[in-house]
Amino acid sequence: MKTLKYFAAIIFLGIAVCNCNTLFAQATAKKITGKVTSQTGEGLSAASIQVKGITGGTVTNDNGEFTITVADNKAVLVITHVGYKLKEVPVKNQISLVIILDEDKNELAQVVVIGYGAVKKSDLTGSVVSIKSDELKAVPVTSFDQALQGRAAGVQVTQTSGKPGSEPSIRIRGTTSINAGNEPLYVIDGMLVSSDGGDMTTGVTLGPRIGALAAINPSDIESIEILKDASATAIYGSRGANGVVLITTKRGRSGTGTVTFDAYYGIQQVAHKLDLLNAAEYANFVNEAKLNANATPVYVNPKNLGEGTDWQEELYRNAPMANYQLSFSGGDEKTKYAISGSYFDQDGIIINSNFKRYSFRANLDREVSKKLSVGNSVSYSRIASTGVLTNAGTIVPGVVSAAILFNPVLPVYDSTVKGGYTFENDRGKTLGNPIADAKEYNSFTTSSRILGNVYARYKFNENLEFKTSFGIDAFTQKENSFGPNFLKRTQASQGEAAIGTVQGLTWLNENTFTYNKKWNDKHVITALAGFTTQKFQNEGLFAYAFEFPDDRTGYHSIASGLRPQKPSNNESQWSLVSYLARVNYSLSDKYLFTLTGRADGSSKFAEGSKYGFFPSGAFAWRVSKEKFMQNAKNISDLKLRASYGVIGNQAIPPYQSLALIGPYGEGVFNSSNGSEVYTGLEPLSYVNKDLKWESTKQLDIGLDLSLFNNRLIFTTDYYQKKTFDLLLSTPIPTTSGFATTLLNVGNIVNKGFDFDIRSINSTGELKWNTALNISINKNEITNLNTQTDILLLGGSLLRKGESIGTFYGYQFDGIFQTDEEAASSPVLLGQEPTSPNPAARAKAGDRKYHDINGDGKIDANDRTILGTGQPDFTWGLNNTFSYKNFDFSFFFQGSQGNKMANFNSLDLLNFTGQNNVLAEAGLNRWTPENPSNKYPRALSSGSLDVGVFSSAIVEDASYARLKNVTLGYRLPGKLLAKAKIKSFKIYAGATNLWTLTNYSGYDPEANTYGQSTTLVGIDAGGYPQAITYTIGISAGF
Amino acid sequence: MKKYVSCIIVLFLATAILAVSSCKKFLTEDPKNLVAVTNFYQTENDALASVNAIYAYLNSTSTGSTAGVYHSTFWVMAGLASDEMNNESIFTPDLDQISKFSHGPINASIQETWTMHYKAITLANIAIARIPGISMDATLRTRLVNEAHFLRGLLYFDMVRMFGSIPLILNEQEPLLPTPSPAAAIYDQVIQDLTEAEALPASYDPGNGRGRATSGAAKAILAKVYLTLEQWENCAAKCKEVINSNQYALWEDFADVFKLSSRGGKEAIFSVGFGDAGGAIIFWEVGQFNVRLLPPQLSVEGVQNSQGWQVPTQDLYDKYDLDDRRRAVTYITEINNPNGTVTDIKPYIQKYWDRAAEPQGNGSANDYPVIRYADVLLMYAEAENEIGNSAEAHTYINMVRKRARFDGVEDLPTVPDYENLSKEDFRAAVLNERRLEFVAEGQRWFDLVRTHTLETLVPLAKPGITPAQKHYLYPVPQREIDLNPNLVQNAGY
Repeated sequence: MKTLKYFAAIIFLGIAVCNCNTLFAQATAKKITGKVTSQTGEGLSAASIQVKGITGGTVTNDNGEFTITVADNKAVLVITHVGYKLKEVPVKNQISLVIILDEDKNELAQVVVIGYGAVKKSDLTGSVVSIKSDELKAVPVTSFDQALQGRAAGVQVTQTSGKPGSEPSIRIRGTTSINAGNEPLYVIDGMLVSSDGGDMTTGVTLGPRIGALAAINPSDIESIEILKDASATAIYGSRGANGVVLITTKRGRSGTGTVTFDAYYGIQQVAHKLDLLNAAEYANFVNEAKLNANATPVYVNPKNLGEGTDWQEELYRNAPMANYQLSFSGGDEKTKYAISGSYFDQDGIIINSNFKRYSFRANLDREVSKKLSVGNSVSYSRIASTGVLTNAGTIVPGVVSAAILFNPVLPVYDSTVKGGYTFENDRGKTLGNPIADAKEYNSFTTSSRILGNVYARYKFNENLEFKTSFGIDAFTQKENSFGPNFLKRTQASQGEAAIGTVQGLTWLNENTFTYNKKWNDKHVITALAGFTTQKFQNEGLFAYAFEFPDDRTGYHSIASGLRPQKPSNNESQWSLVSYLARVNYSLSDKYLFTLTGRADGSSKFAEGSKYGFFPSGAFAWRVSKEKFMQNAKNISDLKLRASYGVIGNQAIPPYQSLALIGPYGEGVFNSSNGSEVYTGLEPLSYVNKDLKWESTKQLDIGLDLSLFNNRLIFTTDYYQKKTFDLLLSTPIPTTSGFATTLLNVGNIVNKGFDFDIRSINSTGELKWNTALNISINKNEITNLNTQTDILLLGGSLLRKGESIGTFYGYQFDGIFQTDEEAASSPVLLGQEPTSPNPAARAKAGDRKYHDINGDGKIDANDRTILGTGQPDFTWGLNNTFSYKNFDFSFFFQGSQGNKMANFNSLDLLNFTGQNNVLAEAGLNRWTPENPSNKYPRALSSGSLDVGVFSSAIVEDASYARLKNVTLGYRLPGKLLAKAKIKSFKIYAGATNLWTLTNYSGYDPEANTYGQSTTLVGIDAGGYPQAITYTIGISAGF
Repeated sequence: MKKYVSCIIVLFLATAILAVSSCKKFLTEDPKNLVAVTNFYQTENDALASVNAIYAYLNSTSTGSTAGVYHSTFWVMAGLASDEMNNESIFTPDLDQISKFSHGPINASIQETWTMHYKAITLANIAIARIPGISMDATLRTRLVNEAHFLRGLLYFDMVRMFGSIPLILNEQEPLLPTPSPAAAIYDQVIQDLTEAEALPASYDPGNGRGRATSGAAKAILAKVYLTLEQWENCAAKCKEVINSNQYALWEDFADVFKLSSRGGKEAIFSVGFGDAGGAIIFWEVGQFNVRLLPPQLSVEGVQNSQGWQVPTQDLYDKYDLDDRRRAVTYITEINNPNGTVTDIKPYIQKYWDRAAEPQGNGSANDYPVIRYADVLLMYAEAENEIGNSAEAHTYINMVRKRARFDGVEDLPTVPDYENLSKEDFRAAVLNERRLEFVAEGQRWFDLVRTHTLETLVPLAKPGITPAQKHYLYPVPQREIDLNPNLVQNAGY
């Protein structure tokens, strides 16, 4: 408040002085002093001051002050500053000026953070998307990477699990690698952070692992820039091939200190439940399955069983989530600060799952002298989370699968057995009671993470600057789990407890020189050169024990286990040395050139192949600056861009190029003297002594077009990414002793278009903005170094000419309607009329499969491509309206053309009566009276058509989703003044409110395999996403 | 201000110089938790560990299906591809196909067998190549090399019988795409390896090596090689050496053969150990005998995870004399309900289950008998019959039959001694005796193939299923043919 008054006084005095001066106006040269400020009164440094019509000029100092000499009172000062509108000020008879610049909302004038620097958007030569905090805040998320969904062209975000804190999978311009990682590089305030969740878990946590980026508080983020093309990512060399996500956290500004309090509260619920058979229908169906197999029916009077247990209803709940954040920011001319603390608490929609995070951040900047400034960014966060086992599970499936498949006739509780829960599904399919599993098998994970760096920046002169920084990213994670002895899952172990800890540290030192120079008003050069070193190390310890006769102490006393298992530990480290350089050259503000190169040396590769050089070049032509475009009044800006470069990928585990001996096998020699343990040591891999970088050549051609005074902004890019020297785990003959080895073979091509359209539809009192982005990508494996397909888990394969994530299986052809048809048609091996097992022979009501090769039988050779988990395109559409103090936005997002292998349906469409089935399918199953061409007959035993991966379970998983709707209201100024607060906003929103899809499972985004590169679009009992309703406030003081 | 400048410049230069000068070291990988090949195969312990690594692939392994060579697939396949067992696990179509003789080159069980054998063979090759160069106790060094020879001989013997002509990989460095050698060459190598292994010690003390390969094991396997090659004289000679070594004897009661306390005992010639030593090693080192073979109905008796995936054929069960001790020991046909009643069930195999020692049944610590003394007696009897020494043949087959009469207390009037069988009848009798004696011990398919009776005997136990000539060998796995064009598929596949 005081500061404002102070500025008001200056302005008043300034005006007073002006008025005085009028009296003594004279036509001689005079010296003028002044200050350039923003509307908040903050002094703006490096603003350019020129006298109109005269070359030369000056710039403001760090306080925004300047001195300039003008010829006479007719002179007009032209003030420009990045991010602000150009202002012309007639000098008249003033000698001291305070010039307030209006912020330029024009996107082109905005500054975009790029690797190791920042540029005006208009000067960009590469393909970079910028996302501001407003857009990130719209959707309540645990982790900021989730908030990128649908916000940027070329960026595909898949929320593979609804578990609180779980990681999404992000692909920037497609999948470039098969065995190396495909997730982008994350750089937080200049710190290249550990973002591989695999480095942070020992595997004890039940369900999907907690995302590596969940430790970062999304509310601390000011902006996110996504670097997509080679020109933008080459500065990150060997780690840029998957794109780079730059996160800038909020920093203080000089001026009045502000205190902001944000809070929201939400309720989450499962988006929809699957419609399954109830107890009566199920019993009827089991009886029919038995009768069809000439066996005795199980249930005497199915009708009397009624609804039975709705296992889904028991498993899911309405779960609250809440976030509270208190931030302080501000500063004076020399010191700026931003400090925040936050508490986030989210219960999962599955019972006994939650996620809590405490986080703190302090960002400080201090100008030690005119030449030297120092600062830091430090954040600490602690996560505590309980998890339940979702997805496939080993032997006993996870709780979601169990809840949809469990016999609905059985009750949840059974007081006659130990533990008090119904023990298992009694109809043949191995399933544990999902409620017992979720409630009693406890998994508790805590993690702490410190992320921080300090920097010093020294300006030798106005052209040359040196910056050095040192940062660390340190984490520890502790994972505990305990399963009491009465669960199906612990039947073999008789109770099990596990404790795993992992701790890791990355340190990074970066040193850069930046040189800026402008000649003759035409030539502008910005050059950067630097040297960086980075090291990562982690170590884990894992202990577990079986057989806990007493459940009370749980994982708190692992020594209570009667069968302790061998503890194990592991270590891993890698290091990287890099030299980087970039030159930007701008000619007449029309022709922009960028040359970038980074040489990386990585410990992960073989001796002699450790170094790789990754260059790129880009050219942009601002066509609208040309004379011939002067008359095209409607075109505010037109820029053509082209870039090309080679970027690397080194995301493989360390030690792959070394011939190492390790303990692997062990065993016992048994005798009357008991068991004599022996352990062996042996080579761990078939060594490739020439292992080197995977590289991607990327071409990008882009167009930026702004029309109608920047009211319609259109950006499009065409790109082509060719990955070569692919790090591929290649099958080799097992006569070598190994099944695979990592080779640099294979090629992948990704081609596509990014479209981004932003428009200001109406200004006036009702403001309406629309943003639409579309990402089209086509992925193709062009060389796999083998003629044979590489078959993967889950019906997926890798085949030359197809995309990664392609499904391969039998073609479902309907249902046999008569026994004669079944007997005379090609059938699965063992279903033929001569089959030794009469019960297995195909009959009316069994599934038909297409005999692709026409050899009269259905076998492995009749499998065919069934589609791909990769979408044709993904998109996002956001509309924001504001009217007076109200604002309203709605955001759609979707994916088109991707398939999903619905593994739940292997069971939900399996009519052996071993487990529950989809109501629609179960009630319309084939019977002689009610023949179906979609669902087979019930048959309790003898069927060989079990677990067949066919088009019957590969579904279209395209979707359009109303990701978010928000309505907000800002308290008007008068009220605020009375309440002595600066701002107050209240809002209400809903997330995932509506989804349009033909997919029959819970969620068209699921992936059991999380961030897996090659296994995409596979749903096997994953944690469903929630619908969330939130209300929140934001208050500034 | 100057001081800051100089400070920073000095700092920068120092970092840069430090980094550049030590870059090479900074980027060199040196994992402390693992040993590089270049530092290995240097000590006595290294030698021991490299041989132990081969043994470790005979039981369970730490990845994939956790199945080693003799974990389960080997003896399950030998049982299914014969008149011994049927498959009741609907989730293993590969085993179902083998049971019904409809398997092809794409078959997970056949692939696993191929992969695990070659894995262990390559480790034996390393041991044989590297250990002689280690300076250590000479006696132990020779012994370890000979253990590796034994294991390699045993593994190639399995492989040549199952696949015929296959690559003969003998060195540490071999081409990635080897060419197959004729079956005769494989047999020559098997005989050579096992002959070298005959120099092994006759025995080890319990708890101090008992369970490792012995001279007797080498001779017994060698006898089986000769039996397979129908070199009767050689077979009889090797059997006799084992018999005369006085290292081995039959347990008096057939029930004692599969007691945990009998592991490494007088009847065991070479066995593969299972079990986790009470948690000293990873839990999946336990055996699968009970999980696979015991009936699921046993859960009422507190037995856990018994799946009954593979069951005996009714024909096999019906072939026993009613009071044959082996019938009672080998099969379970009754379940004791908690309320005291008894439920009759169809026969399941329970011989590996030591009820008293492992009441819960699931993770078995029993041994898999690769070869036991009863086998040597029956091989000897078979060879002597072929040679023409009928009396000697009768003496030895009757040793095995005599035991089957003993019910734990006394000899019952059952399983009478054979007398004066013709050569032809004796052949059938010894084959039948082997069938009754070695249920689920991985013998039956090999016995039927060896005696050329696959297509005549299987249809008796599995009506409607008639093996073809091609089933005298398994197909080379499709994956291996795809990756190595030098391999040749066996006829008929």
